[in-house]
Amino acid sequence: MATNTLRQPLSLRLASGTFLAVWCLLAIFPIAWIAVMSIKTPVDAFAGSFVAVLTGPATRAGGQGLSVLDLVLGGAVVIALTRWAFTGLPGIVRRATPAGWIALGWIVAALLYLALFGLVVLGVLPQLLDALDAVAGPLGVPVIGATFEHYYAVWVENAFWRNFVNSLIVTAGVVTVSLFVGTLAGYALARSPSNLAFWLLIAALIFRALPHSVLVAGYLPVFINSSDWLAPIFGEAAPTLYGKPYAVIAVLVAINQPFTIWMLRSFFQNIPTELDEAARVDGCTHFQAFRQVIMPVMWPGVITTGLFSFLLAYNDFLVTSLLLDAQNQTMVPAIASYFNRETTTTDQVEAIAAAVSITAPLFILVMVFQRQIVSGLTAGAVKG
Amino acid sequence: MAEIELRNVSKRWGSFVGVDRFDLTIADREFLVLLGPSGCGKTTTMRMIAGLEDASEGEIRIGGKVVNDLDPKDRDVAMVFQSYGLYPHLNVYENIRFPLKVRKIDEAVHEERVMRAARMVELEPFLHRKPAELSGGQRQRVALARAIVRQPNVFLMDEPLSNLDAKLRVSTRAQIKNLSHELQVTTVYVTHDQIEAMTLADRVVVMKQGVVQQVGTPTEIYDRPANVFVAGFIGSPGMNLLEGQVSGSSFTCDNVHIDGVEAPSGRVTLGFRAEDARLAQPGETGQITAPLYTIELLGDATMLTVRAGGGLVSVKAPKDVRAEIGDRVSFVVPPAICHLFDATTEARLDGR
Repeated sequence: MATNTLRQPLSLRLASGTFLAVWCLLAIFPIAWIAVMSIKTPVDAFAGSFVAVLTGPATRAGGQGLSVLDLVLGGAVVIALTRWAFTGLPGIVRRATPAGWIALGWIVAALLYLALFGLVVLGVLPQLLDALDAVAGPLGVPVIGATFEHYYAVWVENAFWRNFVNSLIVTAGVVTVSLFVGTLAGYALARSPSNLAFWLLIAALIFRALPHSVLVAGYLPVFINSSDWLAPIFGEAAPTLYGKPYAVIAVLVAINQPFTIWMLRSFFQNIPTELDEAARVDGCTHFQAFRQVIMPVMWPGVITTGLFSFLLAYNDFLVTSLLLDAQNQTMVPAIASYFNRETTTTDQVEAIAAAVSITAPLFILVMVFQRQIVSGLTAGAVKG
Repeated sequence: MAEIELRNVSKRWGSFVGVDRFDLTIADREFLVLLGPSGCGKTTTMRMIAGLEDASEGEIRIGGKVVNDLDPKDRDVAMVFQSYGLYPHLNVYENIRFPLKVRKIDEAVHEERVMRAARMVELEPFLHRKPAELSGGQRQRVALARAIVRQPNVFLMDEPLSNLDAKLRVSTRAQIKNLSHELQVTTVYVTHDQIEAMTLADRVVVMKQGVVQQVGTPTEIYDRPANVFVAGFIGSPGMNLLEGQVSGSSFTCDNVHIDGVEAPSGRVTLGFRAEDARLAQPGETGQITAPLYTIELLGDATMLTVRAGGGLVSVKAPKDVRAEIGDRVSFVVPPAICHLFDATTEARLDGR
């Protein structure tokens, strides 16, 4: 009987299923559509018919396309490699790294895996498939137009990798500084009994509420004139901060820090003070207790907060476009610079390819840290 | 091994007094229990000994050394917390080993000492589990093992049993008693449960609102409570307390008349324990006669309760006694078993 009472009527299940499917389609459409456009020639990408954009006849006519064999074999290799990253790789890392070096082990493993993935998917696979297509007969004939020339143009010819490196520098700087200051401040504020802590948090909230352009406007003149200002200290070699990545890091940290402090503080508050006290009685100094007992318990919170900091720095347009000069440009403003008065359709497809490229790291990040993020987001929601 | 001296130790938060001029010497190897209702300052006193709370005034010495300005880690104390305070990211073995590790004790002896501590609290089968995979009693035993692994000068236990269910409490209590006998370490134990205090303590300190009410062995506290508060707090049920008048040598209040009381005339509070009085034989007239308010079967005895002297008075009767609520019952309360307290100061009047 219980199963009957718990079962929803068919109409309701159908309706909710349909709604979910439609919603997922709507949510995924923009990203899926630009992914499709980015591997077509401009003629196909901006074709009038929906089907033409998907199958890309003009691209195929140009001799660039994926055969059935390519789709099956290539897809299988990519899926297998991705699966192995989550099933096989963790075991190898755990076995191969000495105790205490697990973080380093993961970094090395991630780099090696990326190299392997690049080598197989970009190096070996295309050669192999070309050779196979030639002898496969009907299975080797392209069925879907696909070209990676735009990606090549973006990353190699337009040196987009330089923007990628700049983005890495800025985001790494922002995440590191935000988390370093945020964990220390968050812990102190969570444990402090004084009234001052409360007012500091309120002040942080006010800074958080300021529009970003206010902060940028405040910093900009200082950075432009910084060589005059710093001359008394550094003499002739005083740097102009304007246009440099660390100027952007400073401003983004200023924008982001109140939020990280608040977020980390609430994570710390969920950790009972008895844990600090037990550690201190057991022989730790305040700092040792923080490092050896509190931080290991805090990882989900740190990773979640770190992810939000990463997103803020990675996706920022306003600050980076105003403060960086052309050779230090990060990826987001670099994409915007593809669009100008003289934009051709090729430029536009290249911009789309660049846009698809910058979403990849986000996917990887969320996939890798999904468990910590979920436990971080739900921390305190249920009693552990 | 160390003696703990507390010299006029006080704790204030603004104008609120948490502990008021606590003055006591805890002998080496003594098991001292701080007992009192919640908010009486017993935990604060212990936290001041541990160094987790600063004393506003006074001096704390451990082993003759003033420790007021020392960090907890330098006081050589070990503490067991009410909610265990285990490190959730470490397994049982690493939890127990933690104090040895942070104090940089020679790695070669870790294994042996952890295993010894684990054996003492019967935790050997669980060494590889995380605290989250243990039951409450097991967690508390991990906390105990972590405290004893280092052989500290002083043990501090902050209500270690209050998060356990009733049955487990009894067995863990026995384990603590046995451990303390075996280890012979000065121990301060905080509890609000007077049975724990009676069973474990060499000496008991009863506190109320930051003020020490009485210090003594469990028997002294039970047999000669220093004031009305201690009399009512100790014992299960607490002492029956009657407010009434003494004139000549007889005590009277509602439904009560006791002759032969040695006290100056005037208002007094008279107390006696439920098990010291008895139910009157048929035909005999006792000192308290009233309609029965309630009857409770305890198994080994029957508790009879009547209204008298503005409150409820309970007397333990043999287990086969049966009566209906409303029946008139009479209790025999000889003056020899009565405790007398001043009605205004509530202090014990030592006439008897």
